[in-house]
Amino acid sequence: MTLTEAPAVVPDADPEAAQAAIEHCYAQGWSDGLPLVPATRSLVDRFLATVDRRPDEVIGSLVHLNRTVTVELAAVNAAMAGCRPEYFPVVLAAWEAIQRDRSAQGGGWQSTSGPSPLLVVNGPVRAELGLNAAGGVFGPGFRPNATVARSIGLMVRNALGVVPHGFEQATQGLPGRWQVCLAENEEESPWEPLSVEGGVPAGTSAVSGMLTRTVEYVDNRHTADPEQLLADFADTISRSGAAIFRHHPAGIVFCPEHAQLLADAGMSKADVRAWLVERCGRSKADLARVGKDGVGDNGVRFADGGTDPEAFDRLFSGAGPEVLPIVVAGARNAGISMVVRVLSGWSASSVPVVGRTTPSTQAGAVQ
Amino acid sequence: MATLADILDPTGQTTPRIGGTAQAPRRTDLTGVRLGLLENTKHNAALLLDELAALLQSEHGASATVLRRTKTVFALPLPEEQLAELVRECDVVLTGVGDCGSCSASAVADGIALERAGVPAAVICSDAFTATASGMAEVQGAPDYAYLTTPHPVAILDPDAVRDRARQLLPRVVATVTAAGAQQEAAS
Repeated sequence: MTLTEAPAVVPDADPEAAQAAIEHCYAQGWSDGLPLVPATRSLVDRFLATVDRRPDEVIGSLVHLNRTVTVELAAVNAAMAGCRPEYFPVVLAAWEAIQRDRSAQGGGWQSTSGPSPLLVVNGPVRAELGLNAAGGVFGPGFRPNATVARSIGLMVRNALGVVPHGFEQATQGLPGRWQVCLAENEEESPWEPLSVEGGVPAGTSAVSGMLTRTVEYVDNRHTADPEQLLADFADTISRSGAAIFRHHPAGIVFCPEHAQLLADAGMSKADVRAWLVERCGRSKADLARVGKDGVGDNGVRFADGGTDPEAFDRLFSGAGPEVLPIVVAGARNAGISMVVRVLSGWSASSVPVVGRTTPSTQAGAVQ
Repeated sequence: MATLADILDPTGQTTPRIGGTAQAPRRTDLTGVRLGLLENTKHNAALLLDELAALLQSEHGASATVLRRTKTVFALPLPEEQLAELVRECDVVLTGVGDCGSCSASAVADGIALERAGVPAAVICSDAFTATASGMAEVQGAPDYAYLTTPHPVAILDPDAVRDRARQLLPRVVATVTAAGAQQEAAS
């Protein structure tokens, strides 16, 4: 099969026809609010040519909504999101990574919490596609970061049919929803990549994903003491507003400066986790003040009022990357990191990127 | 040259399900009926259903035999075995409270499944979730399916307020699961 590559420049392209096509996509209800790239057969075929997958292969479903996602639909939505064809193997890996989050299989997309995927890319594909791992890593400004994340949102909206004010019941949603796809700054990280903790060998391109409720910064350019630094993280992680259940997960996207400070003090990722697991949480007195000191049989907190004020409720249910994933990303220009509010935990299972991620006509050809 | 008709559809949407009727046969009254209570773990759901059951027993002659079940995954429709048990053991099922994005939709799916299996059901949702509840009725091929609503929020009510809600809901529950109610609806 020979593929027709669109020429890089179309001298007689009609901007008004393009505008009409964009408006058509809005009128169909397919857009997340921003313009979509009109996806034609020839464009989508270029996406499909980057992977050896059957277009009708089902890669996700919400049985109760009678909807399924196929490789073909993933390609259509990725094209509409503004991806280049060679991003498609990353989109498929990102989708699979998010499917491994148990919330995505349950009612996560319909949830009042309005969760957003946090996607993390590791390995050589970061450089091949020009994924940003450094300054401004949470975006915007970089096409692969922005459009890979957006693809997932369009797949949920269009292919799964979970649309705001319909099956999507987010109370407020959150800033950055469908917009966060980080490349890990492996070059300036003192630790093993997230994908290695997710079971993929170092040096192999992979995507990890989890549903999150928001991110909150920890700005600490004030101390060189690792314990003071970690205590600042423990305070943000432990805020009561995020406590719904007996335990809850969190994540950290460390900037290189904070990560290196901790590593220079001899701490591994596991050491950092252990330090935080030991200390994160709140006293029953604190929790009673906000009506969350009791814990029911189903693990949900409630206003008890009769609990021992001296008792301490630890926040984490374990000490592994499932409940506290750690990533390093961003510029090395300040001590500013992000605490991530992970919805229900990380699968601790990363997905290798399989396909042709180099942008050339040859690479797009099917054998 | 391509036209607008050449733009691919990203939804893959198939034709809507054509559902059978979502209305089980009704009795004229509730004397001696075995109730099933399917609570979905949402705070106050079990209490609300228990209060309704007590009222149906004391004021409408429902049997003292009550099957209480808890949904294991509130976000998703009932597993087959649990559905089969309710159908086997109960004459009327009450379920709720649809008080979140996913559980309100799944409660409606459960109600429709029970009706199609021959058991009248009263599904109770918070009135903040009608869009998703009605959306599910449509997906199940029963766009006119009638579920009951109670004012939002339910989870933070104290026990006395939950009892008041049960009292307010009672006439509509009775109307929903008996022939009198079905006739009333058909006439309106």
